[in-house]
Amino acid sequence: MLIFISCLLLFISALALIVLRVTQQNIRYSWLAAVGGAALATVSVFVWQTQMPFDFVLPSWKPDTLFLNPPLFRADGVSWPLALSIVVLTLSIMLTSVARPSIANSLNWAGGLALGGIGIMAVTADNPLTLLLVWAALDMTELITQLIFADNSTNNEKVVTSFFTRALGIGLLLWANIVSIAQGSSFDFQTIAPGSGLYLVIAAGLRLGVLPLHLPYSSESTLRRGFGTLLRLISAASSIVLLTHIPASSLNSGLTPYLLGFSIMAALYGGWMWLRAPDELTGRPYWVIGLAALSVTAALSGNPLGAVAWGCALVLVGGALFLASVQQVWLNRALLIGAWSLSSLPFSLTASAWLGNLGFFIPFVIAAQSLIIAGFIRHALRPSGRDTLDSQPRWALAAYPTGIILLLVIQLVLGFIGWDGALQIGAWVQAIIVSLLTFGLVWATPRFRILNPIRAHWVNTTASRTDSIYSGVWTLYRVFGRISKTINITLEGEGGIMWTLLFLVIFVSLLTQGLP
Amino acid sequence: MSAPILWIVVPFIAGVLILLFLRERTSPLIGGTVATLLAFIALLFPIDTALLLGSVSIKISPSIEFFGRSFALTTADGPLLAIIYGLSALWFFGTEASGTANRFVSLGLMIVALLTASIAVEPFLFAALLLEMAAMLVIPLLVPTYQKPGRGVIRFLIYQTLAMPFILFSGWMLAGVEASPGDINTTLQAGTMLGLGFAFLLGIFPLYNWIPMVTEESPPYVAGFLLWVLPTFTIIFGLGFLDRYTWLRTSPQLSSAIQLAGIFMVASGGVFASLQKHIGRMMGYAAIAETGLFVLAIGLRSTEIVNVTFLLLIPRGLELAVWALALSIIKRKAYSLKFSEVKGFARSYPIATSALILAHLSMAGLPLLAGFPARLALWQELASQSLVLSFWALFGMLGLLIGATRTMAVLVMVEEDKAWELKESWMQMTMLGLGVIGLFLLGMFPQILQPFIKDLPSLFEHLGR
Repeated sequence: MLIFISCLLLFISALALIVLRVTQQNIRYSWLAAVGGAALATVSVFVWQTQMPFDFVLPSWKPDTLFLNPPLFRADGVSWPLALSIVVLTLSIMLTSVARPSIANSLNWAGGLALGGIGIMAVTADNPLTLLLVWAALDMTELITQLIFADNSTNNEKVVTSFFTRALGIGLLLWANIVSIAQGSSFDFQTIAPGSGLYLVIAAGLRLGVLPLHLPYSSESTLRRGFGTLLRLISAASSIVLLTHIPASSLNSGLTPYLLGFSIMAALYGGWMWLRAPDELTGRPYWVIGLAALSVTAALSGNPLGAVAWGCALVLVGGALFLASVQQVWLNRALLIGAWSLSSLPFSLTASAWLGNLGFFIPFVIAAQSLIIAGFIRHALRPSGRDTLDSQPRWALAAYPTGIILLLVIQLVLGFIGWDGALQIGAWVQAIIVSLLTFGLVWATPRFRILNPIRAHWVNTTASRTDSIYSGVWTLYRVFGRISKTINITLEGEGGIMWTLLFLVIFVSLLTQGLP
Repeated sequence: MSAPILWIVVPFIAGVLILLFLRERTSPLIGGTVATLLAFIALLFPIDTALLLGSVSIKISPSIEFFGRSFALTTADGPLLAIIYGLSALWFFGTEASGTANRFVSLGLMIVALLTASIAVEPFLFAALLLEMAAMLVIPLLVPTYQKPGRGVIRFLIYQTLAMPFILFSGWMLAGVEASPGDINTTLQAGTMLGLGFAFLLGIFPLYNWIPMVTEESPPYVAGFLLWVLPTFTIIFGLGFLDRYTWLRTSPQLSSAIQLAGIFMVASGGVFASLQKHIGRMMGYAAIAETGLFVLAIGLRSTEIVNVTFLLLIPRGLELAVWALALSIIKRKAYSLKFSEVKGFARSYPIATSALILAHLSMAGLPLLAGFPARLALWQELASQSLVLSFWALFGMLGLLIGATRTMAVLVMVEEDKAWELKESWMQMTMLGLGVIGLFLLGMFPQILQPFIKDLPSLFEHLGR
């Protein structure tokens, strides 16, 4: 029930904002309602700790003989940190919105609150049916929002492509369950057949843009800081949660090393592009790819807790960086807490990241992680290009840093309490190597040209190599299109009935050959 | 009052009266109200059960005799009639919003009445004749006045007419098979005849080429109605066959053949849908794929045949209604429904295009929408029988998803800075809005259909037991 209360608080606040928008135009009340709702929801998620683990079951679908598992949500030591990260990010977005020009648009806040509610539902989903429904809700929300704000054909096309890719992920999750049922298991995560595990990894990887490597998001979206950040990070967290449900036995497959290889390649690519991105918002797709790839890698190494840790880091550390739109030196320095959270040093947020078996891949993982942290430090300490709060009222001067600090505090807190990955020593030797390499990269970045940021207009949302693969697929599609046209002309033309009857005879002959 | 008079004669006469006496503006309202009333009566008053309203006792008797033939609707038919007339009401109320001619409502009522008669008639083989009559009544709807019928319409009529002798002939042979079940030759011949009859009726692969032709050349709303109403009753007719003849029900070869035919339809319908450049034809191919899902459901070797089939039937009516209405609205503005003509329509017709895409995605089985629960149930049942069939069923749905994505990409393709407008009328927005809400409700809470479908298995004596 507590899950329901948290989500309800966010949904009711969103509704209240819409009502306020219709009835009153005073923006302060709307902002207070948004912040109040998000704050209450944050408190309610902390209250989960008193009763964890617990379930929230929706009325089951009928007939019972066909739908054995009802939509089910579960709060436990794995889903709680992700839910907390999402609700805190939602609250931070409301608090920091005072510094953004879109402050006057309370519909953005309403959308953000609703998205936060859906995000909590996604990370607590405890069976594939529930996850499928919540994923679809998230995808449709993103599709509609992006299409409303997209201002040209190219961006519209990217939004539609991104929706299709994510829908493919839904299809793969469905296929994983079909395979599971075919092997005699049922439609839930607890008893899922080992043969389905890798399909789950691929489904999550596809939605995250890791397997195969692609950029599902456009960096040119109009929704950049506030709502855009929420959309990107919640969407990624909702996919990462699937990685925590992969049965360990399914990772013994011969395909696992290849998938590990692909995900580490994606992490290296994401890290490299993130390090060289001209600014944090242009680099945000690479941040998502990089951390999502590390999350997939942790899951494939047999460590679902690591996947959760990277998921929380993606939301909390990324959230703090992407929301920091105001130039304040002390706040920029405080953002460096994120580097600690990403380091996987003992008692940090990601201390449990590498408890699994990485084997031969360890050096590559270290390199990818260092690239991401070095990029983070560079973007956090960048000297210019941010707004100021000078023209804002006094309450805004207090609200804005509170939003950022909240995200930083939660990063620290999650290293110590509240979930299964807290208070871990982890792979500390690996973490120290990562830290040393990161310092090296931070030192070298301004000194070596190859590590310098590339210009914004050179950053393409689709890499040229992946472009050629997709253009190959497109050529194949056009060939099929021509074949289909020929068949249609034949069957629908003057002699169509004769051709149809001929096909029918062949079809019946084939069928009757199978009879005794 | 007897049930056949109430649900066959009354709507038929209402249709005739509307055709002769009512004007274009009032006919959707009257036709829709008649259908709604009939749906409510079916839902509230059980057939063949006395109800006391104060001191008045009301009983709807189940059958009548007509020229030596019996028409019977039993208590178990009640929910089915409620579904049929409820969905028909939805189509009739949407007529004005779609801008379709007034004879749609009148002829539509007559068609539904004839098709209802097809599930009530005894001996049940006469249903083939009634189906043929209904198909003939569709022709004036498909062909605008003073125009020559297109190739698709002619082909539709040819195939529906060819179906009738095959079914009648197979019925005659089936009696022989019942008498001597060991005669393999007769069994094979009867099975082939029956299969061909249903292949023509349902438009089984490769006999479905009239469907995209009709959806391209005829008014989309009428084509959508046709694609909903005929397969629905044909499927119920087919289930009746399976229920009546033990050897049909128990033959593993026949079951495999049905599943093979179904999977061909799903996969080919999906693939062709993904390659179309005409959004009307795309609806046709999606309907083909969905009919394939029905055929797959009928071929299931499971006790859940009836549940799965009816779970598929109800959302289909809503999906096609929303899709066809949206297409009609777009077609009134666009020269044709080719991609090149409807480019960027999302900015001017956001409600119609959203409804169109949602209906398409629902047919593709996207979670949260009406089509998903039924497909999930079917996939689960198929998975326990054959992973290969499940794969191809999913593949077909992938084709529909690609089609939906391409349509979406074309509809949102706009010139820079083109502002959003709302060019739909209030009536159109209301009808589409209600339809879309229905799609989401059925997708999130399919249990709301339970009162309608829980007693439907009792329509059949042997199936699903």
